[in-house]
Amino acid sequence: MKDSRNGHGAYVRKVQEGTQSFTHDLLGEMERLHVLVASLQVEKETLHDKTRGIQQVLSANEALRALAASLEAEMNRLHEQVVTLRAANERYESEHARLSAQLDRTRAESQSYSSRYAEIETQNSNLANLYVASYRLHGTLDRKEVIDTLQEIIANLIGSEEAGLYELNEGKQTLELIASFGLGPDAQRSVPLGSGRVGQAATSGEIFVAEPGASELDGGLTACIPLKLDGKVTGAVAIYRLLPQKSGFEEVDRELFELLATHAATALYCTSLHARLRAQEVAR
Amino acid sequence: MHTPRRAVGGPREGERMKKKILCVDDSRTALFMVTTILKKEPYEIVTAHDGQQAVEVASAERPDLILMDVIMPRMTGFEACRELKQREDTKAIPVILVTTRGEEENVETGFASGCNDYVTKPINAQELLAKVRDHIAN
Repeated sequence: MKDSRNGHGAYVRKVQEGTQSFTHDLLGEMERLHVLVASLQVEKETLHDKTRGIQQVLSANEALRALAASLEAEMNRLHEQVVTLRAANERYESEHARLSAQLDRTRAESQSYSSRYAEIETQNSNLANLYVASYRLHGTLDRKEVIDTLQEIIANLIGSEEAGLYELNEGKQTLELIASFGLGPDAQRSVPLGSGRVGQAATSGEIFVAEPGASELDGGLTACIPLKLDGKVTGAVAIYRLLPQKSGFEEVDRELFELLATHAATALYCTSLHARLRAQEVAR
Repeated sequence: MHTPRRAVGGPREGERMKKKILCVDDSRTALFMVTTILKKEPYEIVTAHDGQQAVEVASAERPDLILMDVIMPRMTGFEACRELKQREDTKAIPVILVTTRGEEENVETGFASGCNDYVTKPINAQELLAKVRDHIAN
C-alpha cells in the first residue's frame, strides 16, 4: 500500500515537476515571444515609417512627373513659338534689308538733292549779283551815279578797291581815265590803244584776266574789261588789287565782267545821250 | 528822323511773326544786294544809310538783327555798334558787321565794338544767310 502510495506520490511529483518544467518552458517561450512581438512591433513601426517615406517619394515623383509633363508641354509651346519667331525674324530681316536699301537710296537721293540745292543756291546768288549790277547800272541817267554804281559793283560784288574807268578818245586813239578809286596819283591817265594790258584789251575787245600769282605787271592789274557798244569798244574798266580775303576771280566774276562789258557801256552811253538831250532842251 | 524804308512793305496780316532785319549801308548797290539776298527768306527788311540813322532806326523799330557796313559817313559801323551796345533799348540786338577788310585787326576792332559776328565783302549769299539764321535763331 505504502509502495503504491509512494509510487503515486512520485508520479505526482514527476507530473508536478513536468508541469513546472513545462510551465517554466512555457513562460520562457512566452517571454521570448514577448521579446519577439516587441521586436516585430519595432520592425512594424520602422516599416510603417518606410512606407510613409516611400509614399511621400511616390507622391513627389507623381508631382515631378506632372511638372515634367507640364514643362514638356511648355517646351513644345516655346519650340513652336521659336519657329514662329524665327519665321517672323526672317521676315523682319528681309524687311530690314529692303528698308536699308531704301534708306541708302534715299540718302543718295538726299545727297544729290543737297548738291543740287547748293548748286541752285550758288546759281541764285550769282544771278542775284548779275541782277543787282544790271538793275543798279540802268537805274539812273545820271553819269556820276552810273560811275559811282560801277565803283560800288567793283567793290561790293567783285571785291576790289582799286579800279579805273577809261573812255575811248577816238580822235587821239587813247583811253582816258575818267574816274578811279583806290589808285595813287601815278595812275595812268591816258593809255594809247594797244599799249599795255589795258590798251591791248581795248584793241582786241577781249576781257583780260590775270592768271593767279602772275607778276605785278601794269601796276598789279588783275582784270581789264573793255566796254562795248554794238561790238565797238567805247572804254575799259581796269581792276587792280583784290581785297585781301578775295583769293581770285570766280565764274560769277567772269559773268559780271561780261555783263559790265555791255551794260556799263550802255549805261554810260545813255547818260551822255540824256545829257545831250537835256542840253538841247536847255538851248531851245 | 529818318523813316526806314521797308524792302518788303509794312507788316501785313500773317507777317507779324516775321523777324525784322535792319540793313545799313551807304552804298545803294550793297544795300540792294543784301536785301535781294535776304528777301528770299521770310524776313521783314528795314534799311538805313549810315551809322547815325542805324541807331535811330534800331531804337524805333527794334529789329531782331542788324546787318551793318563798317565804312559809312557821319558814323562808322564800329561807332554805331558801340552806341547800339551802350543803349538799354538796343544792346540786346545782335549786330553783324559787313567789312571790306577781313584782316585780324579789323575783325578785332569789330568785336571790340560789341558786334556779334562779321561777314566780308564781296558778300557770299550762303554765308550771309547762314549767319543771319544763326543769330536770329539765338
